[in-house]
Amino acid sequence: MQYLAVAYTRDIPAGRVYPVLVGGRELILVRDGQDNVYALDGLCPHRHLPLAGAEVWKGVLECPWHHFQYDVRTGENLYPRRVYPAQLAARLGDHVRPLRIYPVRTVDEQIQVGMPEAGGTPRFP
Amino acid sequence: MAKVAREMVEKSGVNVDELVAKLVRAASAEFTTYYYYTLLRAHAIGFEGEGLKEIIEDARLEDRNHFEALFPRIYELGGDLPRDIRDFSDMAACADAYLPDNPNDARQLLGVLVEAERCAIRVYTEICDMTFGKDHRTYELALAILNEEIEHEAWFSEFLGEGPSGHFRRGTPGESPYTSRFLVVPNGHN
Repeated sequence: MQYLAVAYTRDIPAGRVYPVLVGGRELILVRDGQDNVYALDGLCPHRHLPLAGAEVWKGVLECPWHHFQYDVRTGENLYPRRVYPAQLAARLGDHVRPLRIYPVRTVDEQIQVGMPEAGGTPRFP
Repeated sequence: MAKVAREMVEKSGVNVDELVAKLVRAASAEFTTYYYYTLLRAHAIGFEGEGLKEIIEDARLEDRNHFEALFPRIYELGGDLPRDIRDFSDMAACADAYLPDNPNDARQLLGVLVEAERCAIRVYTEICDMTFGKDHRTYELALAILNEEIEHEAWFSEFLGEGPSGHFRRGTPGESPYTSRFLVVPNGHN
């Protein structure tokens, strides 16, 4: 795992996402409302559309395209998972797939995102 | 297409292509919700279901009205609807309101219904925010629909016991008190 500096804490707006490109991968940085910063995949797993315009409220990220919601701390799909019938889970896989999350650390106001070394794999929730 | 009408919206600073895409996704959500609410209403049976049926019916018919009110605006702004209904349904702004695992459980039915309305509220709030003070016609339309979606959420939320809705029943099923003035074929509401 290598940590790459991607932004300063002051760059991350409250309620919005901050898109960054890390190692050729589109990521977003978000706050959870308690000053913690998280790094998540920049594409919604539902239709693989960019999350750059997403809004964040009380730790919940909402995709601007189809209003799917994710927990920024875990990447877990919150909506529509909470109302989708379990019977259809296999067929609706893309609709309930979590957002990938990446480890984050802050060093002197600098946000660093942990990326796998060549050949490694990103961390999944 | 309403050429000057589109031009005025563009001049006001709205990204019209983005707005049209949002309106198409919203129209798709209304159309698919109308279908799924038909299933939910059909399964609203028994002691609890019978009481729930009336508000599902109102919401179902009003969602159809929302589709009817939205699509002319899409064409006025130079957009169109997909030729293939499968493409159309796939682009819905909100998740499908599937019949729950146990369709006889009124609480599960209500969970699906209230979440669908909550998503719709987010969709139309976003369109209102985007068009406020810029695209007056789309704003008024989105606001009218938003008013009804807020009432729908309140009805279902009340039924779930989350608190009083403060709203009374419709005079006629699917009355659409806010959106009816946008309908090409009025539904009898004066």
